[in-house]
Amino acid sequence: MVKYIGKRIVYMFITLFLIATVSFFLMQSLPGSPIASYSKLNETQRAIVEKKYGIDKPKPVQYAIYMKNLAKGDLGTSFAFKGKSVNDLLASRIKPSLILGAQAMVFGTLVGILLGMLAALKQNTFWDYGSTFFAILGISIPSFVFASLLQYWIASQWHLLPVGLWNDGWKSSVLPSLALAMGPLALSARFIRTEMIEVLSSDYITLAKAKGANGFEIAFKHAFRNALIPLITVLGPLAAGLVTGSLVVEQIFAIPGIGEQFVSSIMVNDHATIMGTTLLFSAFLIFIIFIVDILYGVIDPRIRLSGGKG
Amino acid sequence: MRNEFEHEQLPQEEFERITIDSDQAERIEKPSLSFWQDAWLRLRKNKAAVVSVVVLLLFLILALIGPHLNGHAGDAQNLRHANLPPKIPGIEKMGIFDGVGNLAGKKVDLYEMKKVDEYYWFGTDGLGRDLFTRLWLGTQVSLFIAFVAAAIDMVIGVAYGGISGYYGGRTDDIMQRIVEILIGIPTLVVVILMIMIMDPGIMAIIIAISITGWIGMSRIVRAQTLKYKSQEFVLASRTLGSKDGKIITKHLLPNMLGIIIINTMFTIPNAIFFEAFLSFIGIGLQAPDASLGTLINDGYKVMEHQPYMLLFPALVISILMIAFNLIGDGLRDALDPKMKD
Amino acid sequence: MKSKKWLLLMALTLVLSMFLAACGGSKEEDKPAADKDKEDDQATENPAEEDGEPDAEQVLYLEERNAIPSVDSAIVEDQVGFNVLNNVNEGLYRLNQENIAEPAMAAEEAEVSEDGLTYTFKLRDAKWSDDTPVTAEDFVFAWQRAIDPATGSPYGPFMMSGVIKNATEISEEKMEVSELGVKAIDEKTFEVTLERPVPYFLSLMSFGTFYPQKEEFVTSKGDAYATNSDGLLYNGPFILTDWDGTGDSWTYKKNEHYWDAENVKLDEIHVNVVKDSATAVKLYQDNKLDWARVTGDLAMQYRDDKEAVIEPETSVFYFKFNQERGGEKTPLANENIRKAIAKAFEKNDMADIVIADGSTPANFLVPTDFAFDENEKDFRDLSGDHLVYNVEEAQEHWKKGLEELGVDSLKLEILGGDTELSKKMDEYFKSQLEGNLEGLSISLKEVPFSVRLDLDTNQDYDIQVSGWGPDFQDPISFLDLFVTDGPNNLMSYSNSEYDKLIEDTKGELAVKPAERYEAFAKAEKILLEDDAAIAPIYQRSLVILQKPYYKGLVRHPFGADYSYKWAYVSGKK
Repeated sequence: MVKYIGKRIVYMFITLFLIATVSFFLMQSLPGSPIASYSKLNETQRAIVEKKYGIDKPKPVQYAIYMKNLAKGDLGTSFAFKGKSVNDLLASRIKPSLILGAQAMVFGTLVGILLGMLAALKQNTFWDYGSTFFAILGISIPSFVFASLLQYWIASQWHLLPVGLWNDGWKSSVLPSLALAMGPLALSARFIRTEMIEVLSSDYITLAKAKGANGFEIAFKHAFRNALIPLITVLGPLAAGLVTGSLVVEQIFAIPGIGEQFVSSIMVNDHATIMGTTLLFSAFLIFIIFIVDILYGVIDPRIRLSGGKG
Repeated sequence: MRNEFEHEQLPQEEFERITIDSDQAERIEKPSLSFWQDAWLRLRKNKAAVVSVVVLLLFLILALIGPHLNGHAGDAQNLRHANLPPKIPGIEKMGIFDGVGNLAGKKVDLYEMKKVDEYYWFGTDGLGRDLFTRLWLGTQVSLFIAFVAAAIDMVIGVAYGGISGYYGGRTDDIMQRIVEILIGIPTLVVVILMIMIMDPGIMAIIIAISITGWIGMSRIVRAQTLKYKSQEFVLASRTLGSKDGKIITKHLLPNMLGIIIINTMFTIPNAIFFEAFLSFIGIGLQAPDASLGTLINDGYKVMEHQPYMLLFPALVISILMIAFNLIGDGLRDALDPKMKD
Repeated sequence: MKSKKWLLLMALTLVLSMFLAACGGSKEEDKPAADKDKEDDQATENPAEEDGEPDAEQVLYLEERNAIPSVDSAIVEDQVGFNVLNNVNEGLYRLNQENIAEPAMAAEEAEVSEDGLTYTFKLRDAKWSDDTPVTAEDFVFAWQRAIDPATGSPYGPFMMSGVIKNATEISEEKMEVSELGVKAIDEKTFEVTLERPVPYFLSLMSFGTFYPQKEEFVTSKGDAYATNSDGLLYNGPFILTDWDGTGDSWTYKKNEHYWDAENVKLDEIHVNVVKDSATAVKLYQDNKLDWARVTGDLAMQYRDDKEAVIEPETSVFYFKFNQERGGEKTPLANENIRKAIAKAFEKNDMADIVIADGSTPANFLVPTDFAFDENEKDFRDLSGDHLVYNVEEAQEHWKKGLEELGVDSLKLEILGGDTELSKKMDEYFKSQLEGNLEGLSISLKEVPFSVRLDLDTNQDYDIQVSGWGPDFQDPISFLDLFVTDGPNNLMSYSNSEYDKLIEDTKGELAVKPAERYEAFAKAEKILLEDDAAIAPIYQRSLVILQKPYYKGLVRHPFGADYSYKWAYVSGKK
């Protein structure tokens, strides 16, 4: 296991390195100059500015410098923010995004699991249809429409919570978290229901029943644990979905987070910030996938980790 | 039970003597059904799925003929008729779809005010284009994007995940590293980069969605393959000398079909949403192409004032989603060989 | 059984979504209905002119559409940055409530030499926020820093070249920075030597690039200068606080060291970045903002609101016709084709219905209510309308143009922005042009601003929807754009007569205001009516929601957008 984890960590870094490389060269092929003010500068100024930021050098040299800085944890300089470091930029904006993401993930999956289990255990009853209906709504309504509905009713009409901004303590985080949570909630409810029904009809459950295990024991000890495994496989995409959702939800609620910043960086061609954010998002997702794979092995001993002898 | 006590004499002529024919012992009374025939029979019994199929077909037909139903072209602009609310002949007398809309906070019959005699069933947009026609044109585009993207995802995902999981070892290792690199790049970033590099449009969106879309499928298929390939029935089949191809098609795939289909049923609405999402952050389809996503996006901005602009595309997208989900559920029940009744 | 329930569910979904939507509609109706009785007194006049004493707490909540990229006056190049600078710093002059440049850091009107080449400014007793005096040296340092190519200032050379002596040479590293035509005669006397007489020079003095910087402070901060609210010295009505350099919020606080502090009424202004217009409007309605811009489709819904203010701007939008793409002549090099396109789209309905935010159709390049001659007469009254919509003429030109080119159909691309409004307008242009000009097919290309700049620089487009907002108050700010090989021409337009007229306005006519304006009018006619080098579309307006208690806000037609110096809160409950 330890060996496996070590190996995986090495792979994680290789992955990040490749992502950095690919995104670096993709950035170079994007249209538009990274220096927003470029068209206003004269030749002399351009030469000086290019030298200052090192973009006068050949691409491979730029790449080597970028990688060297990256190894030191330096994500480079934002052109849109006039020479401020991307690290500072991201650091100043990561907190709201983390809070929203964590709240949405925890709330969404917990409620989703509960709904899914309820649906599976009370199959073909009102509870089943109710929670399935809810899950379908959650999947069917785009996060930005849901976010704007929440914003319109709960904030604008009933004044229960702030319309937006990040200056009202925990209250500011409720609506955006809810809007983000719909995806994980619906997805996990659906998955858990499907898997639980399948597991509940399997032989070992019948055996457990025959041996006189009570309903609770069957539901949690046997069925739930096995139903969780496929759910864990979707945690990665789910986290990716949260990142995606944050781009629009943060914008709708005017929250100064990374997602909102990312969209603006794209609009102004801020290469270093786009790359830095891409790497940050990627690192986050790779980490989640890593955790998922470890959990996968822990929860289902039937699955052999591919890093072993097999 | 009653018979034990009531020994009624049955008439002899009611009985016929037969000879035991050993050939008939193995005869199957019901017609032999293939896997798919069987699935179809059971799908037919699932009324929700049938209704969904009907609804979906209806929408497909509407998407095809809808743009020609009321004589307005989808790209015909008439600024004099801009921003009209819905008005449908007949229904207008019932107090809905009567052409009354909000103007600067007041309820006004905008058709009367602008002296419009024509009927725009679902209203018009800011350029005076008929929204009914545009809605179905948009549905066409959205469905096209979704189907193509889902098909690509499924083919690549199943092949990739299956090969990776089945052969395991070094193959799996290499393939999974590649997947990890791809999955590590957030889909959205790839999509944005692709769209910035390619010429924006329907193809760019399809390519962008499929370029990472198959990964979820491949991971699930791989996990399932890993789960099944070490089980006894596969081992048994292998011991009996089955080739890899047979094991994959006869043993692994049928077991995985359910989850593949469920996952595809996620991919279609996902693709529709991704397109809508891209429109929302402003890098979706290029005008004059319209899709459900761009229509929703247009409507979202004015939802408080012209709710009809959001309502119809949002309804169509929701109903499509629900239909896809229900068909997915139905197919799952029907295709899963373990749930034979 | 199961399926029936499912059907029920589906029906329920439908009903529910209908219900939600219907509520969305009906709820909206009764709210403004309450305002019905007040609808007559639409607050279209500027609230600045209304009476009312500051009474409530003098705090305001405003929004900006973007974060502050920089507040270093040499580096700033964007709308937000200039707006912040204008409120926390001050140049020799400041635009007053009537938008006339009046002495600010300068104690009195500048002394101008006979030949119009030397300006001498007497500085007033003003202080920086660290309680040190603002001196002539501060101006010398800041201006030299802005023109120094090593600084990479986007506006330094742009504003100073050809205006201040030796600026062009310095910006090209052909002269030392110290040779710039600026001098501190003594601590309070600042002298500027110009390259040539510049009639609008004083209106430049309120522009951000010409603000002072204290050398000692800038040097001591090094790279950290102006990167957050502690990294800047303030000599304007407010100081900046709570700005971390990249954040989405900041606060202005009254600057007690400001020379005119007694006329500054606001204590604090809190600013948040809100990128989505719909969100900004909701925050406004929820009283979280006292002021919000309304853009896109929402503008139409709110332009008649009783709290709405329509602010005409001085930005003009037009088609640029690229005559040479990739080294080859485009069909747009044909004058008739250009004229046909310029006259083939209806502009009144477009402004009223498509843009619908109070913008007005433009048949000109130099905007209305912007430049005035010595008799306070609008430049627009001197120069008439050009390239008015006229289908018949357009079609004649089109036929002729196609004949000259020897083709019967053309495919052209319109390059535009990727905002909601620009997409909608592009669709309108496509429909109008294709409908009115037979054989024309238009493809649309909508890209982010930075990409458009790049395509513009490389002349990689056919027709571009472009716009220009002036930096100072003179028709030259617009007309200089299209001289042969001008840095913003970028469409291979060249007319020697036009070039000559523009050159004259800078040279011999510089001291003859009346003839100078005539020359401008002539040049505009050549550019539009004769050559149709560009096709004007509209002059922009902005719909603003502003709380009735927010008074005294001053909007400027050029340079920075707003001054909060005179703003105050009155009658807030």
